[in-house]
Amino acid sequence: MPMKGLFKSKPRTPAEIVRLTRDLLVQFDMGGIRESKREEKMADLSKHIRDLKCILYGNSEAEPVAEACTQLTQEFFKENTLRLLINCLPKLNLEARKDATQIVANLQRQQVQSRLIASDYLENNKDLMDVLMTGYENTDLALHYGSMLRECIRHQVVAKYVLESDHLKKFFEFIQLPNFDIAADAAATFKELLTRHKSTVAEFLSKNYDWFFAEYNSKLLESSNYITRRQAVKLLGDMLLDRSNSPTMTKYVSSRDNLRILMNLMRESSKTIQIEAFHVFKLFAANQNKPADIVNILVANKSKLLRLLGDLKTDKEDEQFDADKAQVMQEIASLEPKELA
Amino acid sequence: MGQEYPVDPKCYEIIGEIGSGVSAIVYKARCLRKGGTGTGTIVAIKSIDLDQSRADLDSIRLETKTMSLLCHPNILQAHCSFTVGRRLWVVMPFMSAGSLQSILSSNFSSGLPEPCIAVVLKETLKALSYLHDQGHVHRDVKAGNILVAYDGAVKLGDFGVSTPVFDANFDSRLKDIAGTPYWMAPEVIHSHNGYGFKADIWSFGITALELAHGRPPLSHLPPSKSLLFKITKRFRFSDYDTININNNKLGLLQGLGLISYIEVVVRPTADKLLRHAFFKNSKSCDFLVKNLLAGLPTVEERFKMSKCITSANTKMVSLGSASGATTNTNTNTATTTTNTASEDDATETGELMKKQRRVSGWNFNVEGVRFHGELVIPDKRVEYEAFSSSSASPGFSMGTTTPTPTEEVYPVDQVEEASLVALRGNLDEQRKNVKDLITFLGGDQGGGGETNKEEHLTDVVDRLRREMEQEKEKQRVANGVGIS
Repeated sequence: MPMKGLFKSKPRTPAEIVRLTRDLLVQFDMGGIRESKREEKMADLSKHIRDLKCILYGNSEAEPVAEACTQLTQEFFKENTLRLLINCLPKLNLEARKDATQIVANLQRQQVQSRLIASDYLENNKDLMDVLMTGYENTDLALHYGSMLRECIRHQVVAKYVLESDHLKKFFEFIQLPNFDIAADAAATFKELLTRHKSTVAEFLSKNYDWFFAEYNSKLLESSNYITRRQAVKLLGDMLLDRSNSPTMTKYVSSRDNLRILMNLMRESSKTIQIEAFHVFKLFAANQNKPADIVNILVANKSKLLRLLGDLKTDKEDEQFDADKAQVMQEIASLEPKELA
Repeated sequence: MGQEYPVDPKCYEIIGEIGSGVSAIVYKARCLRKGGTGTGTIVAIKSIDLDQSRADLDSIRLETKTMSLLCHPNILQAHCSFTVGRRLWVVMPFMSAGSLQSILSSNFSSGLPEPCIAVVLKETLKALSYLHDQGHVHRDVKAGNILVAYDGAVKLGDFGVSTPVFDANFDSRLKDIAGTPYWMAPEVIHSHNGYGFKADIWSFGITALELAHGRPPLSHLPPSKSLLFKITKRFRFSDYDTININNNKLGLLQGLGLISYIEVVVRPTADKLLRHAFFKNSKSCDFLVKNLLAGLPTVEERFKMSKCITSANTKMVSLGSASGATTNTNTNTATTTTNTASEDDATETGELMKKQRRVSGWNFNVEGVRFHGELVIPDKRVEYEAFSSSSASPGFSMGTTTPTPTEEVYPVDQVEEASLVALRGNLDEQRKNVKDLITFLGGDQGGGGETNKEEHLTDVVDRLRREMEQEKEKQRVANGVGIS
């Protein structure tokens, strides 16, 4: 037993493992591997990928070491390892795919000399997002590419690219895919895109208001799918209630079509949707410069609204909700029909 | 991978109910698109009411994602999941022998034979080892979540609360309380540092005791968190030492002895436990078929039986309360007045339970609005400026309401009293187990340096026992009867 230890080869450095991984990825990417060698090389590749994950995350015996993580990150982004890894993902087995996904996630946060070098790399390789987006059309890859994409849009430049690309439109479809895992993953990414980077989102929403909310209303808020409506109304609340989006909010709450949709959501049988819809509806009511048609709709439905709001209660006690509700009810009760200009 | 299973409810034929919880029902079903000669493959479908479920969609998303990405013979994998109206259907393999909890309560109410325990624990450890290696914490290891197939295969299931530790924002999520109190590790209940892999090991230890005795330690007590907080402080396996060994489940206790230290550091990993002598000569899964599954009622029968018992219980409760009946009549009137034109909930079952009256459609044909149509829209710029200044006006909050997670608070006195009474019966018994266990453990851990602490803890235990005796006396006087 001790002899074995003596001849054990020196442990590889993190940079060496990255290089070995890259070499194998290049071979798989080019597709020039002889069939007889294929299995062996794939096993090696899987092992290296596992080793990289262990360096970044540690294992049950050891915590990750900062210096090793830095070395790994530097070597990883020195060349096109990320692109190779993404391209070769379909060729990996499930365990290696999961490891690779976790590696990519972790690398987005690694700082080298207090710089996120992953961000610099992605800024020059934005087309990788186009590859990751295709994942949603492939059941086997969706969750892996989906996770990677969500990690990449942590970087503002990347999020901006995806928001402003044609990809965004595809999310309206992906969110409603029948496969729950994939639809939910797409929804999580969509939400991240529209909430994480405030200034980018604010700019996007004001520039793209018309088409975006037309799609949002008809495809998501009025979807026949319960989950879609529920997530959409929640996200709408998150967007409109964010201070940085107040111009968009002002515009949104002045439209009677939007009011109609929200009022319909408020009388859904789902309590969760009702409550979320209230958080948007309150903005219509609280607007001190309500357009006349908004006022008149509220007046025409005054008694019904008051009754509905009176019955609307959260499961857990929620002072903020109760206060908002009281305020909205007071506002509605005091409304008088308005002459249209 | 489960992708071959159709994501369309029409492709499944429900055969019967085999389990139910607060917001979920488990069905036995036939997948019509799978399996040869038109018989269809039998599956289990967990149907979760997303509107009732306490969990937010994000945790449900992570759960199903976890289930579809894990791939191990001892892990119950999801074939696929999709929404049906307000419910999420998770299609899984049908584990025909059901959960160990159900096996225990049906045929082994005082515990399983030791060789069976060894098999079940070993298979469970393999699952935990894989799960932990993948960076996941199960968080709800218990007999009820360990399932057995017709061939004796053992799988760890129900990832209702499992959480990937590698996930980006794990800090916040890990601090949520999840899991079932009796099986929870102290650091989970104390909840200062959240969960770790080793919390699963604690629950695993409790599960081992559960398998050996038919129920988890302290299960006589109400599952209140505050109560458990108190108990687990005293329920240190390491608090007790020496004393007689008259338990025949020696091997098991030895196996267990490694686990149940309150100090997280000392608790071994799943991998290390797998190498423990207790599992060395453990039998194969076939052994379970002969010794555990033979003569067992089917899952359906067991579910029916358990349902009879629960419904009998609830009947008694609702008979006792007059308000129950009133609610029912209210519900009926409410349903008749509900607008039938609503389009969204026709498919929903359980609508009868809705107490709230719903609003019967809005009036959008307001006089004037129809008249003026689109011309009504005023000058946007002016409007925006006016509103943005007013939106800053005090009083009305535009902030999203963040629900603060409130913990259930139990009146301390009540709990204290109840706990002491219940503890009396339970703790004595548990103490015995624990003592046996610690005896075996003493060798492994060489607790020589801990004498002071142990002495102190023994004092605490003695004092507690005196308190209990006093409490017992009081109760005796109060009730005029002895309490057992």
